[in-house]
Amino acid sequence: MANWKQIMLRGAKLKSRIFRSRKIPSYLTENVTEDLIVLKNLVKVYDTGSIKVLGLKKINLTIKRGEFVAIMGKSGSGKSTLMNILGCLDRPSLGHYYLDGIDTASMSPNELSEIRNYKIGFVFQSFNLISRTSALKNVELPMTYARRGKKERRERAMELLKRVGLESRADHMPNELSGGQRQRVAIARALANEPPLILADEPTGNLDTAASEEIMQLFSDLHKEGATVVVVTHEENIAAFTDRIIRFQDGVVLEDTKTEKKGEETC
Amino acid sequence: MLIENMAMAFSAIRANKMRSFLTMLGIIIGIGSVISIVSIGDTMRGLFSDLYKNVGITQAYLAIGYWVDDVRQSDYFTLEELARVKEVFGDQIAYIDSGATTSAEAIYKRNTINFDYTGIDYNYIDVQPVNIVYGRYLNEGDILGRKKNVVMNVDSAKMLFGEENAVGKTFRTTLYGYTDVFTVVGVYKEEINAFQALMMGGRTDRGSAFIPYTLLTWPNDYFYYLHLYASDDVNLDEFFNQLKTYVAKLKGRQPEDMRLETAMDQMLQVDSMMGGLSMAVGGIAAISLLVGGIGIMNIMLVSVTERTREIGIRKSLGAKTRDILIQFLTESAILSACGGIIGISIGVGLVSLGGLALGINVIIKPGVIIMAVSFSAIVGIFFGIYPASKAAKADPIDALRYE
Repeated sequence: MANWKQIMLRGAKLKSRIFRSRKIPSYLTENVTEDLIVLKNLVKVYDTGSIKVLGLKKINLTIKRGEFVAIMGKSGSGKSTLMNILGCLDRPSLGHYYLDGIDTASMSPNELSEIRNYKIGFVFQSFNLISRTSALKNVELPMTYARRGKKERRERAMELLKRVGLESRADHMPNELSGGQRQRVAIARALANEPPLILADEPTGNLDTAASEEIMQLFSDLHKEGATVVVVTHEENIAAFTDRIIRFQDGVVLEDTKTEKKGEETC
Repeated sequence: MLIENMAMAFSAIRANKMRSFLTMLGIIIGIGSVISIVSIGDTMRGLFSDLYKNVGITQAYLAIGYWVDDVRQSDYFTLEELARVKEVFGDQIAYIDSGATTSAEAIYKRNTINFDYTGIDYNYIDVQPVNIVYGRYLNEGDILGRKKNVVMNVDSAKMLFGEENAVGKTFRTTLYGYTDVFTVVGVYKEEINAFQALMMGGRTDRGSAFIPYTLLTWPNDYFYYLHLYASDDVNLDEFFNQLKTYVAKLKGRQPEDMRLETAMDQMLQVDSMMGGLSMAVGGIAAISLLVGGIGIMNIMLVSVTERTREIGIRKSLGAKTRDILIQFLTESAILSACGGIIGISIGVGLVSLGGLALGINVIIKPGVIIMAVSFSAIVGIFFGIYPASKAAKADPIDALRYE
């Protein structure tokens, strides 16, 4: 009996090695802390060889789960740097960034990929859909990298496209969609793995006013459904949709205000 | 994941049809030429081995070695010794004679033709079947009685007598200085294919005929060779060794003083030479595969650079280094494998067409095809490693910013 058990165990191990169905670390799928984003004495130094430039100077910041936040600032203020670090595309030089209780400073590039996959949904200024790939396939992509089953992927992707009102465009290629539609596909894609954090970098930068309004309304709805949304922007009217505006200048937080414009409760 | 990767690879290949085709062309030409060259080589080997089978694969000549300095009268064979060898080995010997041939002019009326005479025993037809169309084959009486009877092929009969049915016709010829009148007792026809005709130099202006071998051992009854065919069911190596040892003992010689030439050895020699040749030429053709592989690497590098942004997007969505690596490796492997498949069809097609045109059965070994496909996939993967790892190592921030 013992022998059989061993053989079965070995078989299962081999199978998992072949099909890479390794167990997902629990920190990726579980929501751990109330404070989704905690920045502690965060410093980012750009080493350009001859001189070292401070991108971020000792940032301390906390964003709670369920907040709708705008990060504002002129170009060169450090907001893009912060965006990259928040998005786990980059690591801080000093200090700590805890995303859902995970200290990202100590993670390898592949672990950061996993965190981006499970914890963060990106929405970019230039949409960044993959060309020659249908809207549906684009939405499926994060789930593909999370190794979810084909049927599950397809169903969830259809659901998400329905959520952003594009179920009739599922088979369209990105170049067959308008800017606003592309951004909505991108938002559907960002939601694919139900990440706790939606990170939008100038999401309306390439859109006209009507489409911008539409997209921000979508973010607003998502927020109402409980998502944490962080929008990086330099437009006041876009920031006005949010509950909290964090202004940056020269790598430090200049101002952190909570707006009550919409009469909703603040965090 | 694998299926997704393959789908992605195919869509990327489709997106740049012309470029993909040109990239594949290197592999197509490489695989196509390797397959056709190796197949042509294999076909030639097959034809040669068929040729030897027709000549008789169990055939051998045994004589005193040319390296022996003190050749004595007793080193030559006698008819008694031949009979004794035949008796001792019994069923193991299918046929035996003195292996003697000679050439002489055959004269019929005013017609003089050079003839090659082969001295045979009456049962030579068992090991070298021919189709007797007129008259009969040589019989035991012809052999034992040293009758001056001949059997010739239809072409020779036509040449000498001007007609195919020459049975009963006589002609004069001079063997070993004695001029005699010979009678045609039979005319045969032999089937040879185009390749054999080519190898034998085609139709010549020489006639050929079988005469009793006892005529050629006459008058002194000593002869140099034992010419024999082993039976089909004997172990050739063992039998020839025994024969050599026995004959050496009979002649008071050491076995290593005897020269044994077997058709098998010759065939293996020719076969290994042809095999080596086709391997060498195939190897040269394989170099073009290498060139094709470099072409794939080049285009994959271009593709990686072009799609830097896509790589950045994928990474931001959670693709790991390995995911990107496998994606690009799959693409180059598929590119190469497609080239391989097209190359195989072209190679096989060309060789089959050539075979059809020449009326030869071509031999295309499945092993060659398997080797070619795996080699092309290996080429694709090997030359894809560098571009793919370049893509996989890309920094997501830089890649996303790439225009």
